[in-house]
Amino acid sequence: MSYKPQYTPGETKIAQNRRNHMDPDFEMKKIRNINDEDIVSVLGHRNPGENYKTVHPPLDEMDFDEDLMKELVDPIPGAKQGTRTRYIQFADSMYNAPAHPYDRARTYMSRFRGVDTGTLSGRQVIEIRELDLEKISKTLLETEFFDPAKTGLRGATVHGHSLRLDENGLMFDALQRYVYNEKTGRVSYIKDQVGRPLDAPVDVGEPMDEEHLKEITTIYRSDNVGIREDKEALEAVLTIHESRTDGGYGLGVFKNDLKAKLGDDK
Amino acid sequence: MEPIKAIDVKIFPHRRLKPGTSEKILNELLELEGAIRFLVNGESLPNIVGYGPARGTSVNHPDRKIITVKGKKVELLVSVGEIVVTIKQENLEEFVAETKNILEKILNFGFDVKIGLFTRTKTTVSDYLKLDYGIEENFDPSLVGMVDPKTNSKETVKLIR
Repeated sequence: MSYKPQYTPGETKIAQNRRNHMDPDFEMKKIRNINDEDIVSVLGHRNPGENYKTVHPPLDEMDFDEDLMKELVDPIPGAKQGTRTRYIQFADSMYNAPAHPYDRARTYMSRFRGVDTGTLSGRQVIEIRELDLEKISKTLLETEFFDPAKTGLRGATVHGHSLRLDENGLMFDALQRYVYNEKTGRVSYIKDQVGRPLDAPVDVGEPMDEEHLKEITTIYRSDNVGIREDKEALEAVLTIHESRTDGGYGLGVFKNDLKAKLGDDK
Repeated sequence: MEPIKAIDVKIFPHRRLKPGTSEKILNELLELEGAIRFLVNGESLPNIVGYGPARGTSVNHPDRKIITVKGKKVELLVSVGEIVVTIKQENLEEFVAETKNILEKILNFGFDVKIGLFTRTKTTVSDYLKLDYGIEENFDPSLVGMVDPKTNSKETVKLIR
């Protein structure tokens, strides 16, 4: 069966931005360059230049029982080499961050292979083999998925997505992993994602303009585009809610069943 | 103790304040007539990392700074989100008007100024427990509503004048 995925309902720019995120064929605009080594040091799982630690020998060298599924599914590079599973975690501010946890979950699932994601109210984790993680992190950090001020790279102590921004427009971070340079107007990470100090700061560029963020955000907000302005999205949400409730309570189904049991169905 | 007529004024800026800005605002507010006490509230900033792989290392948060208020050094323990001022009833109108002027002059973003009761007015069980367990000696009734139930007032309350 062949069909064209629709990703998410909605007729506003917010819905379109969500579809752009989820569509693997849509190329996100690249807006900054970060060295591979800098990404490795910010992630904090291994030292730059260090070999990948492995948890099992390469798949080619292992003996398996005959398994049709193993022939059907092509393993991702990290799995082939047997590298460890590691993570990257983001916190997205409610003040028009480019992405948000649910959008990230859906995006990760439709764009990348072999990922395990976890969605929480204030943060979103992606777990995958370390080798592939670094490639994915590069995409997530260099494109419009990431804004230095409104998105935080946080492994622990993530609190801050729902708080007011500071005077420079930065999201609250109790560990202050990233700092804003008032002279250059650029943000740089001085700690890795769990708060261990880095040897050299990692520059992640200038925060995006607030007006531009309003254009590319995936968050419905009443001071930008409210969910009630999006008739189609609202209709889809209400339909799902109604069907779930009806189906969950078994309305119209159990009633007849009960009647039959009572001998009342004639 | 003689009851006094006082009310709270809450200053709620639309952005979290930097230590420098908080210092400016506090110094200007202290010049005004009738202010009894100031409560600087906000998201607490840890000194050392509490959990995770970096546990035990120092945070060095740029917002956790020592500011000078009327010549006295005060350590900011929070990222300033709101300032509650208890004000004498008779100075209220003038104070609110002046505060709005000061904030408009210093801040380049929005703010709200609200009037009401934003601090506790009665001594609570935890206040009495502090006395009983010897955490505090000679509890000052004017501190009711200002001190976090879990902390010692010596650490969080500063007498400016």
